[in-house]
Amino acid sequence: MRIDRRSIQNFDWVLLALVSLLVALGLLNLMSATHSGLEAGSSDIFRRQVLALGVASLAMLGVCVIDYRRLARLAMPIYVASLGFVLLPILMSPATRGAQAWLFDGRVQPSEFAKLALVLALARYFQRNPPTEITRITQLGAPLAIIALPVGIIALQNDIGVALLTLLIGVTFLPFVRIPWPAWAGLGAAGLAGLAAFWSYGLKDYQRTRILDFLDPARDPLSSGYQAMQSRIAVGSGGLFGTGWMEGSQTQLRFLPTQHTDFVFSVLAEEWGFAGSAVVLSLYLVLLLWGLWVARNAKDAFGAMVAVGVVGILFWPATINVAMVLGLAPVIGVPLPLFSYGGSALLAAGIAIGLLLNVSMRRYVF
Amino acid sequence: MLGGYGDDRLGSVDSPLGDGRLGLLALVIALAFGVFLLRLFQLQILEGADLRQRSQQNSVRTLVLEAPRGAIVDREGRTLAANRPAYRVQVIPNELREPDRTYRALGQLLERDAVELASRVGQPTGRKRFQPVELDGDMGEERLARVEAHRFAMSGVMTDMRPRRHYLEDARAAHLLGSIGEIQPAQLQNERFADYRAGEIVGQTGLEARLEEHLRGRAGGRNVIVDVAGREMREVDMIRPSPGGRAILHIDLDLQRAAEAAFESQDPEKPDRMGALVALDPRNGEVLALVSRPTYDPNDFAGGIDSEIWQGLIGDEWVPLQNRAIAGQYSPGSTFKAIVAVAGLAEGEIDPADEVFCPGYYRLGRRTYRCWKRVGHGSVDLTQALVHSCDVYFYQLGVTLGIDRISRYAKAFGLGQLTGIDLPGEKAGLVPTRDWKIRVKKEPWQKGETVSVSIGQGANLVTATQLAVAFSVVANGGQRVQPRILRRLETWDGRLVDEPETPDTTSVGISKNVLDIVSRALTAVVEQPRGTGGRSRVPGVEVAGKTGTTQVVSLDLVKDLEDDEIPLRYRDHAIFAAYAPAEAAEIAVAVIVEHAGEGGGAAAAPIAQRVLARYFEKRREAEGAPPLSVAEADREVEIGSPPLARAGVERVAD
Repeated sequence: MRIDRRSIQNFDWVLLALVSLLVALGLLNLMSATHSGLEAGSSDIFRRQVLALGVASLAMLGVCVIDYRRLARLAMPIYVASLGFVLLPILMSPATRGAQAWLFDGRVQPSEFAKLALVLALARYFQRNPPTEITRITQLGAPLAIIALPVGIIALQNDIGVALLTLLIGVTFLPFVRIPWPAWAGLGAAGLAGLAAFWSYGLKDYQRTRILDFLDPARDPLSSGYQAMQSRIAVGSGGLFGTGWMEGSQTQLRFLPTQHTDFVFSVLAEEWGFAGSAVVLSLYLVLLLWGLWVARNAKDAFGAMVAVGVVGILFWPATINVAMVLGLAPVIGVPLPLFSYGGSALLAAGIAIGLLLNVSMRRYVF
Repeated sequence: MLGGYGDDRLGSVDSPLGDGRLGLLALVIALAFGVFLLRLFQLQILEGADLRQRSQQNSVRTLVLEAPRGAIVDREGRTLAANRPAYRVQVIPNELREPDRTYRALGQLLERDAVELASRVGQPTGRKRFQPVELDGDMGEERLARVEAHRFAMSGVMTDMRPRRHYLEDARAAHLLGSIGEIQPAQLQNERFADYRAGEIVGQTGLEARLEEHLRGRAGGRNVIVDVAGREMREVDMIRPSPGGRAILHIDLDLQRAAEAAFESQDPEKPDRMGALVALDPRNGEVLALVSRPTYDPNDFAGGIDSEIWQGLIGDEWVPLQNRAIAGQYSPGSTFKAIVAVAGLAEGEIDPADEVFCPGYYRLGRRTYRCWKRVGHGSVDLTQALVHSCDVYFYQLGVTLGIDRISRYAKAFGLGQLTGIDLPGEKAGLVPTRDWKIRVKKEPWQKGETVSVSIGQGANLVTATQLAVAFSVVANGGQRVQPRILRRLETWDGRLVDEPETPDTTSVGISKNVLDIVSRALTAVVEQPRGTGGRSRVPGVEVAGKTGTTQVVSLDLVKDLEDDEIPLRYRDHAIFAAYAPAEAAEIAVAVIVEHAGEGGGAAAAPIAQRVLARYFEKRREAEGAPPLSVAEADREVEIGSPPLARAGVERVAD
């Protein structure tokens, strides 16, 4: 292990600052979301998140240290290992939360790491087969297979949200290929057909219900429509400057569903108002654009692809989560990266940011 | 060692991916976040106020604190109507952890069907899940104790206590006190009930309705912050309810009880008497007892009436909900003769000593009017005419006076008009006049009608209250009193709110002398041996009174039947009005016994006697004098009582 002096000089402090700011705000928000004398163990949640943050920070720095070009060679083995890791819960864990996606008594969620492995594998594949040279749709067979394997396994565990996310992260790479327009149209049509088939055969009843609830919230005010409504009320009651930290009535009185995970952004919107939410969304936007800037300045295709993948890893769950919270998308159990409670997610995010820092700091290395 | 990566570099100098596609991604990301910012602006700025309000509705719950309804007490402070705790059990559907087990347990504890309990709650959705469902609103202390003992094992089950109206005398004085009930939709639209909510309890009849404003009190409320499960987190503010005020009545519970008991049959074979009784103080109109029979139990109304009981009351042939004392209109029968006698004396048409020969009938034109005593009374003066209730004497006097003068005196005594008693639903009765006959019947007055009216028959209609007022006029020397039930209004803790002034009595403009003559005759009715009112005698007190009997149907219908074969609804009404002590009256009583099947002397006078006896017994106790010994009392009664019960029965013939 060797750290170039230039790498340290070029350390991406801006990126680290952006992430640190988001994580700090996220912790503050989580503190409020879990604060309540009502439920024993809610402060436990906060403590565990702080602990996970420590582990994630170490992982992030650890990932920085290893030159990413070494990782390129390990990409495929990591990918294969991750598939096995993802398969494990199916084989051994009892179902938790309606999904068999957890390991070690619900402490570890392997699919979080499968997303990272997928990004590495696709970056490696496109490094070997530059997307600019992919001009025929048949050439997409291999990368689509790389995407389909983990997505399929995760879907088998009934974790449709994560499966969808993994799929979208894979799809993030597609715009770089140079297939003609008719091929794009065919791909789109195939995607729609797949979606329709998935609706009919791939979804459980409760999942279909959630989507129907979104399309028509008055259908059943009890279930996810009720959650979405409470979330909208929370967001709206924030107003311009919010009700104040730890003062949101929707939050503090637990009208918000799963407010420390899926609806953590509602808490932010209620207590910090439009001003606070806009700041956080802007920080996110800058972080994501910064990630694309890192991709643009990466010195090789693998680095650039990894950066794009990391942007995808952050962008898709953030988008889906915020859209859900704001009532723009159905209630899908997707947490907000860096904000929602969840050790595995935080650790995976730490590794992802580490990869981005890794690529960024080595942009002038050779 | 890094050389192996060199060939990976793409043609572009700047980026291995090409600027265009990265720019596309950047655009997509920026677009998404732009949409989010717009949406946030919409929700938080544009719809913010509205959503904030909904958030408050979510978490602030206003709980009504019911004000206990004011007590109603008698003149001595004894409670007639108050409140008792009603224990309620409710479940919050959302908090039921094991619904089936809980319903089974509750079923056992409440002695109810578990399935019925479960179906009562159902499976509500949305916010309804958090709203308590009442399983029993008044389960009693024993069941409360049982539920409380097991409540720790049943999450989502709550008990609480609310005040419920309680009438301590049950069905006694029911019409006087009245009943409460949920406010009716029509009432809600009335301005008077502007500040009432749907479902609120309101006095519907009797004093409960009359004194609604005073008794109601003011409900308080608490604004509490609740969490999503409806658990109370903290109180924002509270307004204490102010309890309803106390109402003190002129009613004397002892007399009320005596009067009610007098209507109640001692013989299980025989039904209770039906009718009305009003006892008042002739000096000032204070109502001491007011009875209407048959009655009902106002407690049945206190918690929302059971529909079966309601249907029973509504469908009852004998209309138990009607307050007969103020709204039951009856012919006064022979009690009216007292007023005709006053009219005759005051108008100078007769002298007390003048005698009229009664052959048993009276001829007017081609019609013959019979006296109730077929063989006639022979020569009778005014006193004897009243004592024996001779019809012929009053036929003749009535025709001499004419209907105009009779009705003028009847009205002066307060008949045929509202007495102004402080109870809702009073009826005016009727004193027939020439005008009335033309106006209503579109026919001129017939002289023969005057004959009927002179003995209290015909179109004459009075209420028991009017009769008590009319006899008070004789008793107090010519003052018409306004009967009043309410003595005083106080706050719940005893501060004076209002003490209605005694309304001025109206002089009827009849000389004391005339009234004294009639009063002495009425005393003879009771006190003279074989007097028709003999059964109202009270040891040690002189009672003045007059009996009456009124036919319900034409004699032809029942003439071939033995007395006890006559259907109840065809039997005569018995009437008796009295006051005592005759010389300086303190109490006047009017009694009507519907379908008594006996005359006023036999059926009504004994009821009045019980009230009078109780009154003077109390007075003796108050004066510290020992009550008369039983033997002494018996002897006195025996001396005066008529040899045959039938002796007091009168039959009035057309």
